[in-house]
Amino acid sequence: MKAYDDSRVQTMKNVAFDPAQEKAASYLASDMEVLDAHSATAAIEVLPINLALEKYAWLKELMHSLVPADKDEYVKEVAASANKLGYFIRIKAGQKVTLPVYTCYMINASGFTQCAHNIIIAEEGAELHLISGCTSSAHALSGRHLGITEYFIKEGATVTSTMIHSWGKEVEVYPRSAAHVGKNAKFVSNYVALSSVKKLQMDPLAIIEEGGLGEFYSVVLAPEGSYFDIGSTALLEGSGASAQIVSRVVSSGGKVATRGKIVGKKAGGRGTMACNGLLLSPKGMIHAIPELLAEDPLLELSHEASVGMISKEELEYLMASGIEEERAKSLIIEGFLDLHIPSLPEALQRQINAIVKKTKADEMM
Amino acid sequence: MQTPLLDIKTLTVTVSQKEIVKALDLKINKGEVHVLFGPNGSGKSTLLCAIMQLGGYEITCGSIRILGTDIQGLTTDAIAKLGVGISFQHPPVIRGVTLQRFLESIDQSGDLEPAIAALKMEPFLQRELNLGFSGGELKRAEILKLYAQSPELLLIDEPESGVDIENIAVIANAINAMLEKGSPKRGRERAALIITHTGHILNYINADVGHVFMDGKIVCSGNPLDIMEDIKAHGFAGCQRCITDKRGADEGL
Repeated sequence: MKAYDDSRVQTMKNVAFDPAQEKAASYLASDMEVLDAHSATAAIEVLPINLALEKYAWLKELMHSLVPADKDEYVKEVAASANKLGYFIRIKAGQKVTLPVYTCYMINASGFTQCAHNIIIAEEGAELHLISGCTSSAHALSGRHLGITEYFIKEGATVTSTMIHSWGKEVEVYPRSAAHVGKNAKFVSNYVALSSVKKLQMDPLAIIEEGGLGEFYSVVLAPEGSYFDIGSTALLEGSGASAQIVSRVVSSGGKVATRGKIVGKKAGGRGTMACNGLLLSPKGMIHAIPELLAEDPLLELSHEASVGMISKEELEYLMASGIEEERAKSLIIEGFLDLHIPSLPEALQRQINAIVKKTKADEMM
Repeated sequence: MQTPLLDIKTLTVTVSQKEIVKALDLKINKGEVHVLFGPNGSGKSTLLCAIMQLGGYEITCGSIRILGTDIQGLTTDAIAKLGVGISFQHPPVIRGVTLQRFLESIDQSGDLEPAIAALKMEPFLQRELNLGFSGGELKRAEILKLYAQSPELLLIDEPESGVDIENIAVIANAINAMLEKGSPKRGRERAALIITHTGHILNYINADVGHVFMDGKIVCSGNPLDIMEDIKAHGFAGCQRCITDKRGADEGL
């Protein structure tokens, strides 16, 4: 592991990196340099993707099996890139590791395009918790991050993946991820972005097999000048598969399209979706696009969507308790953006909430 | 002479260009508990909303003073900071904000633990504010809020509505404790204006003055228990008859 200087540590702290926090494994990369790739437990294997491809011949077959190499211009660019970053993380069958695995991508050089391809494999019955931070340093005025992530979650396995973004105002970000959620497996994806970005577009996909579960939670605070196009798509491929998509968006002047799509294919599938937005400024825009598609009559799919301003009744209630208007608004926004994810282990939930709370406080000041 | 905690003079309140409170006078001094009886829709809650200057409640005539300060032009939080706390009849749900977080934001009490215990709110501290609370739980949370705020003037809207007998006793005991009902009246710092439709709360709280509020006006004031007995016996229709008879007698003079 290479030593990281103070400025890098400070940058990574913006996206949940805590040097003192015990971790099961880490992967940290800055521009094209891998700073750290190691595991503290034999249950988890962490390798830079190029080394993993050398070690495992079968891995080449998995690459682009969920995110096709010709999916769009950004994936094509990553696929064609000679200098790719990326990690390979594998948790062995039956191993349950509640300590998080921390990964971080950082852009340090202005105008840099960072290409990454990640593969995550949770073998049968395993449990893995990932926290992924993506950020740019204060002096990286512009840049692009193009990242492909493919998750293979085998039968009965659980993967939670919490991605925290904190990019610069002139950085463009195009993550492309997909998960194959095996029989009775569980995939929980949390996405948190609480700072400005020039443009961020992503629509992660989960293909959920029989009895499997996919949950997507996203929390976005869009300041003026930012553009977010975020969504989640769940394909209920097997019978009894289920999905939940929850999106909370606050725009203080940024433009946000928040999408959600659940496609039910087999009987017994269930899917719910809630896309809620708070629009705080007339300069902003929130476009909620929930979509349901049922291909079997024995499916239960539903959605709710709302976009509006802060409730006058809630604001007055808090003010009548002696809280100043601005503080009352902050409290309501904080509550609106509060992540409560039943599927996360309590300790991890606490850790993520603390990070989100701190980031929100910094952003709202 | 002491400055009244609440001093309302010839107050007219308009909501959506309709007069709801009409030329109302009311004075509440430290240590006093006033009860406002009145039928549904008479404007009782409007009066409390106007005191807090909630949006849409316009003072078109008269004045409201809290400890001598005219509230006209003040924001709701500034009025609260003058020493006014309100327990709403239907408090809103605030998603993502736990009861504990809310209480921490407003706590002026110094030590809220005894009130949390007395109001049996410990299990609710980590719950989102008012989400899924029963009628009794909502009222207990509202009274706990008042404890945290520690205001001098308590405005309590229908503390018994939607509440079972057991909860009414818990709520009333807490209100009595806030109002220092165990101490001599002279030494009490707080006062309250309690709105009640049924008067049931008077079985638990000793009030000093009762008022019948009808069609935007106080039409009768007196001993609260006597008023409650009259209302029980004759309903608010009896109050209406009484007013009509009194007016007739006055005009006959």
